[in-house]
Amino acid sequence: MDFDDTPDEAAWRAEVRGFLTEHKAELGDRGTRLDFDPEVAKQRQALLYDAGYVGVTWPVEAGGRGGTPMQQAIIDQEMARAGVPGLINLIGIGMCGPTVIYHGSEDQKSRYLKRLLRGDDIWCQLFSEPASGSDLAALRTKAVQDEQGDWHISGQKVWTTLAHLSDYGILLTRTDPDVAKHRGLTMFVVDMKAPGVTVRPLKQMSGGADFNEVFFDDVVIKDSERLGDVGDGWRTALTTLMSERLTLGGGGTEIGVSIERMAEHVADRIVGLPDERQALVRQDFGRAYVASLGMRYTGYRLLTAISQGNLPGPEASAGKLAGTTAARDLADLAVRLLGDDGVYAAQSDGTDTWQTLQAVLPGMAIAGGTNEVLRNIIGERVLGLPAEPRADKDKTYRELAAAGA
Amino acid sequence: MHFDLDSEQRDLAAAAADFLGGSASPGVARGLLDDAGAAIAPGRVELVKSGFAAITVPESAGGGGGSVLDLAVVAEQAGRVLAGPSLVTFARAAVLLDGDDTRLAALADGSLAVAIHDGGPVLDAVGADSFLTLAGDDIVIGSGTVTTRDPIDATRGLADVEIGDTEVVAAGAADRWRTARLVGQVVLAAEGLGTAARAVEVGIAYTKERHAFGRPIGSYQAVKHALVDAYVAVEQLRSLVWWGAWAADHAPDELPLAAAAAKGQAAVALEGAAETLIQVHGGIGFTWEHDAHLFWRRAKVDRFLLGDDVAAFDEVARIALAGAGR
Repeated sequence: MDFDDTPDEAAWRAEVRGFLTEHKAELGDRGTRLDFDPEVAKQRQALLYDAGYVGVTWPVEAGGRGGTPMQQAIIDQEMARAGVPGLINLIGIGMCGPTVIYHGSEDQKSRYLKRLLRGDDIWCQLFSEPASGSDLAALRTKAVQDEQGDWHISGQKVWTTLAHLSDYGILLTRTDPDVAKHRGLTMFVVDMKAPGVTVRPLKQMSGGADFNEVFFDDVVIKDSERLGDVGDGWRTALTTLMSERLTLGGGGTEIGVSIERMAEHVADRIVGLPDERQALVRQDFGRAYVASLGMRYTGYRLLTAISQGNLPGPEASAGKLAGTTAARDLADLAVRLLGDDGVYAAQSDGTDTWQTLQAVLPGMAIAGGTNEVLRNIIGERVLGLPAEPRADKDKTYRELAAAGA
Repeated sequence: MHFDLDSEQRDLAAAAADFLGGSASPGVARGLLDDAGAAIAPGRVELVKSGFAAITVPESAGGGGGSVLDLAVVAEQAGRVLAGPSLVTFARAAVLLDGDDTRLAALADGSLAVAIHDGGPVLDAVGADSFLTLAGDDIVIGSGTVTTRDPIDATRGLADVEIGDTEVVAAGAADRWRTARLVGQVVLAAEGLGTAARAVEVGIAYTKERHAFGRPIGSYQAVKHALVDAYVAVEQLRSLVWWGAWAADHAPDELPLAAAAAKGQAAVALEGAAETLIQVHGGIGFTWEHDAHLFWRRAKVDRFLLGDDVAAFDEVARIALAGAGR
């Protein structure tokens, strides 16, 4: 057992760290706000791509460098360590791109992939709908093929992160309502600037507007922009969702705020408190700190598996579940320690780190799999517990829709 | 990075599971409660004979010359079957007797039946004939008068002990005493890991079989999610136990934080797992005949050993805050 890099990993880490140090001024600082200037963010991604640090696990012919998940994990760690903001096109890299790699035509690959990695085009993922969130396969957005072979799209997507900045999206639609709901789906690449696409930002409870509603009003997509076979969209979507775990790796990193920063905050604030209150703060902080340590070292187990060439399995879902809970407890304590400032959206000096974190975290427990869905995944696929009986089995989508489901 | 057990440690775990599972079980733990004269399993003699007890005693003194991580791997298996006496006792004694090859050899061959006295109830006092304790800054050993009381968990051999005549084992060794206690916390957490992991497994097995309203109760999210939360806590504990054991072997600077984190998480995870185990069983889980309460008894006692969970989390916070901003 050891926590050391192999010689190859150490060399790679030194190279990445050297680059980030040298270009720190251009790369900028990980800020307290989650919104950012898209042009600056695109330039940042281009700089990192041109240096070879974006999409390292992608095949060379797709614009990547055919590297290992461990190399990607080291980049993630070093970017966090250097305080460099994350990549703007993370959803494109983690989900849309891999789907194009697996299911796209050669023409699509050559047109899209390199520009995606470089941040020249921003991508979004158009899956969730107002009536289908966790139950993704219940989606309603319709795609109908005309006599020329073109597809006509009508419907609505929602919670679409980055849609307001996106050039392209991967779009999951229903092409056949008369089969079981998982079977009648088809995926496309959609041009987000095409006629009939309307993007409306949704203001979040945290005040930011990172996600959107997207309306499709008879949007025309060429059949050559289809990803995977007609009716095979569910399988295509599974590729998308599985790629996320692999590409993002992410073992050993934390959600929202670093535990060291949190410790500094507590250390600053605890000194002015009465002794009995200090004891309560230490108890809360100690418990949340142990949760973070548990997450960090569990992340190292995941990284170990990755460094040995294994792919993260469904047990990786436990990391997000535990991380969300730990971050919530830390944010709660952090705001509590602000004293009277804790009732305002910012401190009197204008800083709002902890209030912002507090307001962002409820979304983390929902996005990318709600805590409840993650518990189902772990319960059924890791612990082997039986699945809940389903009311939608052996019914076509049309029958379900007629019943209001 | 290789944060995982190696193949030798996996073999060690399998061998320990074979040996310990051959005698110890929740049934034996229940027997101890039913009959105060019943023998704990595997018991001090057999545990010493197996060699597992003296894993961390140097080879020069007849021990295994292994690491704390090796011992933690065995301790996890001991926890699964509620074995006794505790490997915590042997782990601490091996540190406290460091350099005293005569006594270490006696520990390894079983002629020294020792327990560690911290001032409160003494773990494995039942069956011990010598007691190590801290007197001022000196580590001393001596006889003791053992008073047993009605136990919650009889496998822990807890008793009140009044120390008799002592002799000094190591003078001015308060640091060593502290280290031994930290190693003890890690090994205690490793036993807790095994007990908690086993409790979750037993709960899963039952909820796959038991039907209510026409389907297995494990399919209900209320039941499934309770088991998942217990499982997630156990896996976090596993990571902290490995880190603590690794720190004991290789990074003494990290040991105080790692040991306190493991101790605190073990208390919480084991309590959660044991209470979930009872709850998912319903009425049968509350009976004397069922094994669930034996896991629960271990949880309710272990949380107070080597300091309680509140003290452990306080220690974690103190260490983290002292290091903040450096």
